[in-house]
Amino acid sequence: MTILEISGVTILAIGLVLLLVGIAGNLRSTNRRAFRIDVAPYRGSAARGVVYAFSLGMAPWAKESTRRHLIAYVRGIVFHAGVFGSLAVLIASPWIWQLNSEIRILIAAVLGVGSVAALGGFWIRFREEALRRVSTPDDYFSLGLVTVFIAIAAVACVIESVMPAFWIVSGVVLGYLPVSKLKHSIYFFYTRFQFGTFFGHRGVLKFSRRAS
Amino acid sequence: MIGKVSPKLKEQFGKLIDRRLMASLEACVRCGICAESCHYYQADPKPENTPFFRAEQVRSVYRSMFDPIGKIAPRWVGATPPTQERMKELTDMAFMNCTLCRRCTVNCPFGVDTAAIMRSVRAVASANGDAPEILTQLADASLAREEGMEMFKDIYLEQIDMLEEELRDLSGDPEARIPVEVENVDVLYVALSGAHTILPAARLFHETGTDWCLSMFEAANYGLFVADTPKAKKITDRIVKEAKRLNAKRVVVTDCGHAYTTLRWEAPNWYGEPFPFEVTSLIELLAEWVTDGTLEVDPSANPDSITYHDSCNLGRVSGLIEQPRTILRAVCEDFRDMTPSGENNYCCGGGGGLVAIAEATDIRIKAGKPKADQIKATGAMFVAASCDNCQIQLGEIATNYRLGTQITGLPELVLNALIPKRRPGVDANTQLVAGD
Repeated sequence: MTILEISGVTILAIGLVLLLVGIAGNLRSTNRRAFRIDVAPYRGSAARGVVYAFSLGMAPWAKESTRRHLIAYVRGIVFHAGVFGSLAVLIASPWIWQLNSEIRILIAAVLGVGSVAALGGFWIRFREEALRRVSTPDDYFSLGLVTVFIAIAAVACVIESVMPAFWIVSGVVLGYLPVSKLKHSIYFFYTRFQFGTFFGHRGVLKFSRRAS
Repeated sequence: MIGKVSPKLKEQFGKLIDRRLMASLEACVRCGICAESCHYYQADPKPENTPFFRAEQVRSVYRSMFDPIGKIAPRWVGATPPTQERMKELTDMAFMNCTLCRRCTVNCPFGVDTAAIMRSVRAVASANGDAPEILTQLADASLAREEGMEMFKDIYLEQIDMLEEELRDLSGDPEARIPVEVENVDVLYVALSGAHTILPAARLFHETGTDWCLSMFEAANYGLFVADTPKAKKITDRIVKEAKRLNAKRVVVTDCGHAYTTLRWEAPNWYGEPFPFEVTSLIELLAEWVTDGTLEVDPSANPDSITYHDSCNLGRVSGLIEQPRTILRAVCEDFRDMTPSGENNYCCGGGGGLVAIAEATDIRIKAGKPKADQIKATGAMFVAASCDNCQIQLGEIATNYRLGTQITGLPELVLNALIPKRRPGVDANTQLVAGD
């Protein structure tokens, strides 16, 4: 192994440990908070509400806001597809060279689109005054970091020598996630779950109304 | 490093943070998609009127107290200390610039509950005596009524006697009554202060032969608006104790969004168990009656075009979306729904207690613009609403935006269409804006 590869693996391992410790810390501090169970008799089904929240409720046409901001929402989806794709590349990185070059080029192209979508996040943030005013250095750094993460994953799929650099960036992303804006990836599951239980239990969501 | 945070404030805020609130404080990525979902932003599109901007002001304070990075490197994550000025700004924002309607929540890709965030600010303000005085006074008045029950009871019963006379005139039945304190009753009806929520319901109970009695207490609960849960529970407790004492099977709450939400959804959680009685809205009861034929109605009695405003508390928060439409389709000839409606309905601008705050008048009339536009687009002559506060606000925006529409309640429309005992006493073609 080269020094760069050893550095990459080491930083990645440190990042992974920080990620696990950080997630555990976030979960611990959240789960230590009161979990209020709605004891009022239900009108709809909380379970169906949760299913909706994680499925049809995420569809671009499900909400007025996402219909109105369709391009921004689709950009977000493509961006996040790029994030998950890059994570998949990271997991598969020891074996990725066993894939033939056409498949790797295809993956790189998809991730390339993801990184362009990620870059679009800067444009949206700069363009809108309200977003500019609430954006923190952490917002820009997180977005930049993830943009580089996706872009370098794309390059690493076609240029083998870039892989150690991808591991280094991945280590930084993983380690930074629990203490930054990136932790929304943890809390997303909480808020969507709570959205589903709240509006499902009360029969507000059409999808949940029939069940009771 | 950040300035010193008051331990008292940190403790007050910390106690309020449950998992739901914490997730909402942590999850927002400031994507900005929620902006137009807010009626304030629709009326006046400036950054301060977006849900994410407002919630971010609270988050910045939260980070200064609870986020490790916010304590070490506040500028990096936008943490700001909760100075007195800052808390004053947040309090004004939470009481005046958010009606807790939750429209942003249903439009957020994450489902962030901005209303819960604003409610936490209201709670901290209340705990420190900084909530709008009128809301606190109204909450306290409800409790004073219970404490002075002996003195108040005789006056109340005298007023009920007078209303009974009116009921007899309207129903044409000299035996018609407004009973109180009836044990083992089927329905304990909880009205608001004032005859306008008692008489129409009394007539309908009389018409249907319902075994009912009127509660000694009013349904309004301003403890909810000031987010003072112990106080809100005390106010609710008067009704709960009464219902238990009378062994009522069903508590029916009048047309009032926040009162219904309180008793139906919030209060059981404060007690930690469901009530031994059913909690229903008068709207649910009316929908049942027009559907199963208990009430026979003639829609030709209400020939004019009519639209319906969903109270946020009844619709988006409580799921009463189909019931009012069932009633309106049965009792009106020309019902026109607004767009959007149901869980996507716009707040009228008077929610969250704003109608009671004199200083908020200009703000709420301005924020009522999207609702005014919605009403105008239907071309309807009448707007029905199932919430007293909404009716007041709708009346004011109808005047201010020269809509030429009149405001009415659902029970009034049902009474107007009633067969065969229809009387000329209540006419939907008069403005029935609820007073106090």
